[in-house]
Amino acid sequence: MAPRPGSKSGDGDTASAMPLRYGDDPLLWAAWLYYEEGLTQGEIAEKMGLSRASVNAYLADARTRGIVNIEIAPDKFRSLSIAQALRDHFGLQDCLVIPTEGGDRSLIARLGAAGAQTLQRFVKSGDTLAVTWGRTVLALAEALDRPGLQDVRVVQATGGTTAKIPWTPEACASRLAEALNARSIPISAPATVSSPEIRAMLMQEPVLAEQLAILAEADRIVMGISSLRPESTIHSSGFLDGGVQHAHYQDAVGSIIGRFINARGESVIGPMHERTIGIDLDALRRIPQRIAVAGGVDKLPAILAALRGGYVNVLVTDVVTGRGILTAEGYKDTPRRSPPPVQAPLTARSHVKKLINAPQDAVDEALKGALLAHEHLIAALPGSPRAIRALEGPRAGKVGIVIGGGAGHEPGFWGYVGRGLADAAAIGNLFASPPPGPILAATQAVDGGAGVLYIYGNFSGDVMNFDMAAELAMAEGIAVRAVVTTDDIASSPVESRAARRGVAGNVFIFKIAGAAADRMLPLEACDALVRRANARTYTMGLALEPGSLPETRRPSFELGPNDIEIGVGVHGEPGVVRQPLAPADDCADLLLDRILAEMAPHEGDRVAVLVNSLGGTPAMELYIILRRVRQRLKSRGIEVHSSLVGPYYTSLDMAGVSLTLLHLDDELAGLLEAPCRSAALVVP
Amino acid sequence: MTTIQNADQATIVEELAAVIVANKAFLSEIDGKIGDGDHGINMAKGFGRAAERIHGKDMTLDAAMLVLSDVLMSEIGGSMGPLYGLMFEDMAGALTGREVIDAATFSTMLNAGLEGVRGVGSAEVGDKTLMDTLVPAVAAFDAAQGQGFAAALRAMAAAAETGRDSTIDLVAKIGRASRLGERSRGVLDAGATSCCMILTTLAQSVQRRLA
Repeated sequence: MAPRPGSKSGDGDTASAMPLRYGDDPLLWAAWLYYEEGLTQGEIAEKMGLSRASVNAYLADARTRGIVNIEIAPDKFRSLSIAQALRDHFGLQDCLVIPTEGGDRSLIARLGAAGAQTLQRFVKSGDTLAVTWGRTVLALAEALDRPGLQDVRVVQATGGTTAKIPWTPEACASRLAEALNARSIPISAPATVSSPEIRAMLMQEPVLAEQLAILAEADRIVMGISSLRPESTIHSSGFLDGGVQHAHYQDAVGSIIGRFINARGESVIGPMHERTIGIDLDALRRIPQRIAVAGGVDKLPAILAALRGGYVNVLVTDVVTGRGILTAEGYKDTPRRSPPPVQAPLTARSHVKKLINAPQDAVDEALKGALLAHEHLIAALPGSPRAIRALEGPRAGKVGIVIGGGAGHEPGFWGYVGRGLADAAAIGNLFASPPPGPILAATQAVDGGAGVLYIYGNFSGDVMNFDMAAELAMAEGIAVRAVVTTDDIASSPVESRAARRGVAGNVFIFKIAGAAADRMLPLEACDALVRRANARTYTMGLALEPGSLPETRRPSFELGPNDIEIGVGVHGEPGVVRQPLAPADDCADLLLDRILAEMAPHEGDRVAVLVNSLGGTPAMELYIILRRVRQRLKSRGIEVHSSLVGPYYTSLDMAGVSLTLLHLDDELAGLLEAPCRSAALVVP
Repeated sequence: MTTIQNADQATIVEELAAVIVANKAFLSEIDGKIGDGDHGINMAKGFGRAAERIHGKDMTLDAAMLVLSDVLMSEIGGSMGPLYGLMFEDMAGALTGREVIDAATFSTMLNAGLEGVRGVGSAEVGDKTLMDTLVPAVAAFDAAQGQGFAAALRAMAAAAETGRDSTIDLVAKIGRASRLGERSRGVLDAGATSCCMILTTLAQSVQRRLA
């Protein structure tokens, strides 16, 4: 360990306070105190008896003289909320945001250094790396130090220019190639030529054709983004003169790779288009990794346009520019340093923690787990992994029950597949109906010659896909009927009941259907009973917190710190009205009152109750609600036949609850009592 | 030129896919305001997969559209799977066997696509769906056909944008957002927005090939 400056000797005489090993070099000492001991510049100034300005100068000097070598831990910067927001909003692979103000180096030099760090993390042996030109790109090349790579090619993204600037395409490419120990491939032609004819002729030259072919193989590109201001690189490098811009490029707000884009990121085609030699915007989009290094408020419209156009998937910029981009996109910034609100809204989180691997694998991996957990009950159909069949149940002469919908409702829908319940389920992507394929496969697998009954919630996608599957099945001679469930009373007024969504009440409706089919009732009778069950099932839900998709890991809607959303569906879609959070009993009453108003039960009527968690609400709260519902029903003189409490029909991690009442008659009660055995529901 | 070749045009569909993939987050963001927030994810998944399958292949425009249709219909599901799936299937059908595509053929293709959507969906203009983009865009193309292919494409793209923007002031009458009633007013419809991206990109892609 290095000697630690004595705390006593720190006050007073500066010379005696300086440890011997630093000789009389205050620069070294200041650097040590700052970087190793973690003192502030003010503390160092006091300790060394210097002004803060001197300390600052020493520290800057220490960096330029290479005494101190600073490496930014990119994780720290990427985790800044602005970088995270930019990444999420534009679907970027990566984003690095550096402070706009910082020491004595220019923003361009610092962006270049940050860009160099970013590139160093990605560039691999064997890469073909395209590069544009400009001040920032040259700064990046100069800051880059990545020896040890093999077989890297650096290729100019455009032809060259004779402009009297140090950051020409040739200079940027050769400097970058040097830093990467790479082969440098020029584009042996001017970036702009005087006519489309000359361009066409040049393009036929074998040397140029070969160089352009290498360019087309680029794995990544490093590029700057130019504004169209008179002092910008696009002008100084001779790509555009004022007259041409005025006449043909009024819509353009920026330039990348020597091409012009409007505010929406669309290509602006003008006379330069057919006179430019180099990669074009469409070819740019095909490069897998497109690293843009650009900052400064003057470039903001150009950077925004490049992001909107999807030309960039790795961005290195500065805080002020990054925030400006987000503001322009309507993103609300949460102030970081203002005093925290009394109760921080959970929605202020930039992302939600999830136990997933790759987000796109979540549905299939969860389904595989479910199939293993319940391997004695269900299995996927061979060749149709999203069609889940009951191992026991389907049999000759029995109506086949096929249910289904999007994933994200676990244990829906596989949890309701089993003897006495559904015979098969088709499961789609997250919150998206399954396509006709798995529905048809399920239909074929469970058809016992007595026809198949489809039961699914009323969502336009499900209706389309189940309809298409039904048509295909009927063409094969399988009789198919469908009941589209509409139990969610919040989703549409009673006059347009058919427009309502089908939600957690499906649990009861599936049970009725499974029991009816298990009794070997014919298709028409099953269909009629299920319709009756649907007509007598009433559900209403409320959310305390929105859920979040694995892909976005962000809340699917915003809910204030003290608000609840009434009438939410089961897909993270917002509800019908919003009101302040109330005690559990009031919430239970709110749901129950609406349901009872529509159901209009008589004293002595029987109901089945489901208090369902939307995914994030624990059992404790569900039982508090159930207790209140039972109290209320008792006082109304309504008999409760049975109560289900738990996560039966979820909406990922949404916190909230739905209440379902099935208004029983004797026949429905008998069907509800019939034995069944599935992963989520067992009646002995 | 007033026509494009039908042969070797898989890149047109790749260009469509690139725009959809690039706007994945944006489309999901819009969808999240009144829907379930997955429009961009599902669209990008379908269009991206189709692009992978046609990349580098020497295919007619209709063949490439059929690949896209097939992926959307068989792998994506939701409402967008059948809607866009049938739109591209019927568009492709209108091009089958054509060597060159002129404005008249393109119009036939657009109208076939529109009918394909009508065959599966029940929405009309004003319901805050992709029809608010598609219907006026097709009409604008047909109306401007007399001024040439390129002009008609420009008219189509402009009408698509106007149509898309018209959904801001509409109340959803169909689909998930319809349950929100008045709360669905004030935001773009995600389907209308993705449809506009498809049409404007198609217009630009074809225009470039006309040049």
